[in-house]
Amino acid sequence: MGARVMADKKGASSRPFARVLVANRGEIALRIGRTAREMGMEWVAVYSEPDRSALHTRFADVAYALGGRTPRESYLDVAKIVRAAKETGAEAIHPGYGFLAENANFARAVEEAGLVWIGPPPSAIVDMGDKITSRKLMAEAGVPIVPGLAEPLADAAAAKKAAEAVGYPIALKASAGGGGKGIRVVRDPADLEGAFRTASGEALAAFGDGRMYLERYLDQPRHVEVQVLFDAHGNGVHYGERECSIQRRHQKLVEECPSPVVDAKTRAAMGEAALKAARAVGYVGAGTVEFLWSKGEFFFLEMNTRLQVEHPITEMVTGRDLVREQIRVAAGEPLGYGQDAVVMNGHAIEVRINAEDPMNRFLPSTGVVQNLRMPGGPWVRLDSCLYNGLEVGLEYDPMLAKLIVWGSDRPQAIARMKRALQELNVGGVSTGAPAALRVLGEEAFVRGEYDTHFLESLDLTQDFLGMSDVAAIAAAIHRYKQSHRTALQPTAGRRDGWLERGRRSLTTFPLPQSSNDEGGANR
Amino acid sequence: MKYFVVVNGTEHEVDVTERLGELVVSIGDRPVEFAYQEVNRHGQVALTVGLRSYGISIEGANSRMAVTIAGQRYSVGIEDERERAAGLAARARGGGAGPVKSVMPGVVVDVLVAPGDVVEEGQPLLILEAMKMQNEIEAPSAGRVTDVHVAQGQAVGAGEKLVTLAAVTE
Repeated sequence: MGARVMADKKGASSRPFARVLVANRGEIALRIGRTAREMGMEWVAVYSEPDRSALHTRFADVAYALGGRTPRESYLDVAKIVRAAKETGAEAIHPGYGFLAENANFARAVEEAGLVWIGPPPSAIVDMGDKITSRKLMAEAGVPIVPGLAEPLADAAAAKKAAEAVGYPIALKASAGGGGKGIRVVRDPADLEGAFRTASGEALAAFGDGRMYLERYLDQPRHVEVQVLFDAHGNGVHYGERECSIQRRHQKLVEECPSPVVDAKTRAAMGEAALKAARAVGYVGAGTVEFLWSKGEFFFLEMNTRLQVEHPITEMVTGRDLVREQIRVAAGEPLGYGQDAVVMNGHAIEVRINAEDPMNRFLPSTGVVQNLRMPGGPWVRLDSCLYNGLEVGLEYDPMLAKLIVWGSDRPQAIARMKRALQELNVGGVSTGAPAALRVLGEEAFVRGEYDTHFLESLDLTQDFLGMSDVAAIAAAIHRYKQSHRTALQPTAGRRDGWLERGRRSLTTFPLPQSSNDEGGANR
Repeated sequence: MKYFVVVNGTEHEVDVTERLGELVVSIGDRPVEFAYQEVNRHGQVALTVGLRSYGISIEGANSRMAVTIAGQRYSVGIEDERERAAGLAARARGGGAGPVKSVMPGVVVDVLVAPGDVVEEGQPLLILEAMKMQNEIEAPSAGRVTDVHVAQGQAVGAGEKLVTLAAVTE
């Protein structure tokens, strides 16, 4: 405990940089900016044209216009972002996740411009970025891998031949893939050709690389990942695991830390394997080693050479600010503590609040956010880019916020997340939050018995709260009042407006803007 | 005023009338003891039914609404008696075949059928990419393709016609 306090104090007193640029948008830009500020640094936000009024643009100390409407013209433009850092006097660049976070060319460009790259060495990104190379490296380093073929497949016919050798079911994966794109599971040889075609096409569109490989598909698989961090002096620790098996179409929805199936002994073994994997590529900084866990065995899946979306649950359980640790080691500071100082305390759960419709196969939902009500109370953390009036379109990732809770044990964390989700309201768009609520209420989930197919096995069209009659009553009254108001008296029901005018006439100082009355100022 | 309210597929009949300036509500034939207070003009509502309190959010207007209660989002279709009659008549005229519409905005990656093709229920008609995910759009029923309204590479909005099917006469 003593060493931990010392290390934290040291981090707070020495400001590694005066100004850091965050090459991202949305909740993660805010998340990084918050730690930068806590460390006494200023942060620079970059923004595209549609993000002129985005929260990250408004929260930052310095906001730099990249111009452009599409990601390619803005957040993916290496030259523009390096120029932004130079022009704003930033000394370091944090890439967040997504966009350029795992782009080795960007990392090199940052370093060549004389700036500090808050991320792993470009060579480690390259080695882990290509799944075929990484499998080979891991096998050599003695990290357990899933049975399969490391070579890319020439075409659908080659895939068919290879699948027969490995044995069905198989998983087809994009060599350059990530984020669930370009992945197909095939159980029946008859489906292989079609699956190869769509997955390869998807990979080509998403990554500019249509190469595919395949491996054995493990039944009842759980997605368990280990967080690691290395400094530039060869010291590394792991922060235990995160369980991310609640997913649909390989997109995570609910994550928890620690995993309900990993005991101390397995944790130590997985942690050791993760450290070994990172060392094999000369890793520096924060990274995540993903494993597939199946019936007590675990296999290396891939390493994400960046901060993960779900990093906060590890922060809640270990008490370590991972962004602060990233910045410290990027500045060359030694880690300052060993594995013994990493203590896991209690249980944390994260739910991703995505703009999607769980009642309708999680199809994307678009609209203008309104009626926002944020959850709060003990041990609730909301990392969000939401505000009333936010336009949710299709040009960016649908993730709007992450709701994170901590509890002293798993049942407490589950109960806390349920009540926090009930408090949350995001109007104007549909979100996946009700699906998460449904998951948390399932007995199998409460027992910790679930795998990566769990979410897809639930019928999410059911009204599991049983309040459809209340919804019907509310809708009918709303409709009645609406038609009545517009038909008869255009100003009916405006008692609050009358009160507002009365208050203003009696007040000589600015009224505080009430959170649930955002349109009040212009009435 | 009687409303036919469909909430996630379940229909409720809700009667709302005004008596001496007060709203009187019943669902089915059951009277509802309630208090309904609009918090603001953005659809935040404080509703009590009996002693139960609900913080509700309502969006949308007229016939389509979304009602959120305790994190559960209910999609609501609502018709008054006149709209109900008109709707029933329209549904009687239609039936079976018709246009397959896009349920989300996206880009057509590939068109897998051509006019004249006979398709089975569940057969992929085209591939639509939205949010970088490719989705196969399947035939909702068996039929003959009479029209393909989109081309490869074309951007489509939600609700736009993609393919029109006609019933196959046997």
